[in-house]
Amino acid sequence: MDDRPEHLEAPVTAAAVPHLALKATLLLVLMIVLVCGSALYVMYARGVFEPTQRLVLIAENSEGVVAGMDLTFSGFPIGRVRRVELGPEGNARILIDVPRDDAHWLRTTSVFTLVRNLVGGTNLRAYSGILTDPPLEDGAVRTVLGGDATAEVPRLIASARELLQNLNVITAAGSPLSESLGGVQSLTDKLKGPGGALGVLLGSDAERQKVLLTLDRTNALLARLDSLAARVDGLAAKTDSQVFGSNGVMPEARATVVELRGLLGDARASIKKVDAVLQEAQAVGANARVATTDLGALRSEVDASLRKVEQLINEVNRKWPFARDTEFKLP
Amino acid sequence: MRTPSDLQRLPANVGTAALRWGSDWWRVVHFGAQLLALTLSPATYGRRHRPALARHIYLGTAPNLLWFSVLSALISLVLIRIVVVTAYSYGLSQFAIQLVVRVLLLELIPTTAALFVALRSTIPRGAELAHMRSTRAALRGEPVLDEVLPRVVAGIFAVWTLVAVSCMVALIGAYVMVYGFAVGGFATYTRTVGAVFSPEVSMIFLLKTLFLSLAVGLIPMAWAWTGPWRAGSAAGRELQVLVRLFVVILLIEVVSLMGNYY
Repeated sequence: MDDRPEHLEAPVTAAAVPHLALKATLLLVLMIVLVCGSALYVMYARGVFEPTQRLVLIAENSEGVVAGMDLTFSGFPIGRVRRVELGPEGNARILIDVPRDDAHWLRTTSVFTLVRNLVGGTNLRAYSGILTDPPLEDGAVRTVLGGDATAEVPRLIASARELLQNLNVITAAGSPLSESLGGVQSLTDKLKGPGGALGVLLGSDAERQKVLLTLDRTNALLARLDSLAARVDGLAAKTDSQVFGSNGVMPEARATVVELRGLLGDARASIKKVDAVLQEAQAVGANARVATTDLGALRSEVDASLRKVEQLINEVNRKWPFARDTEFKLP
Repeated sequence: MRTPSDLQRLPANVGTAALRWGSDWWRVVHFGAQLLALTLSPATYGRRHRPALARHIYLGTAPNLLWFSVLSALISLVLIRIVVVTAYSYGLSQFAIQLVVRVLLLELIPTTAALFVALRSTIPRGAELAHMRSTRAALRGEPVLDEVLPRVVAGIFAVWTLVAVSCMVALIGAYVMVYGFAVGGFATYTRTVGAVFSPEVSMIFLLKTLFLSLAVGLIPMAWAWTGPWRAGSAAGRELQVLVRLFVVILLIEVVSLMGNYY
């Protein structure tokens, strides 16, 4: 059966398109340039052309870490995970390529953290506290600190469960809290009753009556105290007039004080005179002391003169012919 | 209503249909392999065949290039805007560019370009071939080298060119939508694109584009040249080819998705 198409597009000839070879070549060049350019751009974006140094981070597990993820410093990517492998000690070895241009941000004292977020990807972060420390060497191996947000979830759930169990125990029937609430309920019922708060406090109606009677007596006592206070007020008024009145004690005391002040002035003048007499007596005493000193010198001089006279007499006696012979001559 | 005799014959019919389906596809695959071998042969691009190659390459790509670029840019901008606004509203702006690059460059653009080339170029060219075959108009000389192979190469070339142009337009559009016309975000943007295009993803992207271009270039021509003549109009046959091509494109897309995300 012949089922040839009823219509067909007009055959296109080379003459219908001017400069066909040139246009086809241009298209070919465009395609090659685009494909090669895209490949080069992707290679540049992957950091193929930049010199790097190797950094190895040791983590407890590699969960969330994939090849190609960034190592950030202050929010800026400075490295890229190249490979994640299982270490000989069963831990994860994260191999990171850090471009040489950015390697100066990493120091020997730098700290690396691996943070797994609840929403979003895992983050590898570097912190360099002291930028003057020596730079991190090529091939350095560092332990990464874990900052796992999801690791807190089981602990949080366990704590929440414990809290809920405690709440259940507290709010259960027969629990101390419900009994306390029952007690409060009965208390409020009593408070609403005829005894009121006084009945609650004292426990029985008789005791309450006693307190009320005491209150009545206290009121009577207070009334008597009022009258007593009124009498004390009158007494105080009289005292005031006696003490502070025009003929009271206080004006007389004031006049006495004035007289005392005059007497004291006279006494002060007399004391000054006595003081002058004493000064003169002191001067006399001083003169007498000087005279005493002079008498001492005179006495010594007289003593010396007497000694000389005595010595002279002795000399005269010795040399005098009538002198007694005082010597004993032994036979 | 089927009679019992029809029901008894049903398994036999199903078997015959499956056998016929398998033999048809085998012929197409076999002829496609031969065409592919010819495509990779340097003799195909000899001086004698260059005018036909140039004509089909130009006519298969140039008329579609502008339209597809404009269409792709518009759709890309709309999708980029939706993705970026949604990501910002959920506080996930750091993933907006990755999402845009993955959705557009890796998934949508290659498939859309392949379908566009198939609908606008290779399936109509396949219909031309089928018509020539039916009228014996192109059987003089070397019909495969003169008529079939240039159309195949043109289809493959058109897919690669449209994918490359559309990806570039989408990359520029995504940058402008996120950072505006400031150049300050180029380093961050480039790094994000680099993070998406890991070696595995890049290889899957290239293989996907390669197989899509091969499917779009080879299947309509091979089906038109080796396919059985059965009852039906030309439009019906074109529709059959389109459905078969669509199934193949879908399979390639599924395999690439599995490779990327499993």
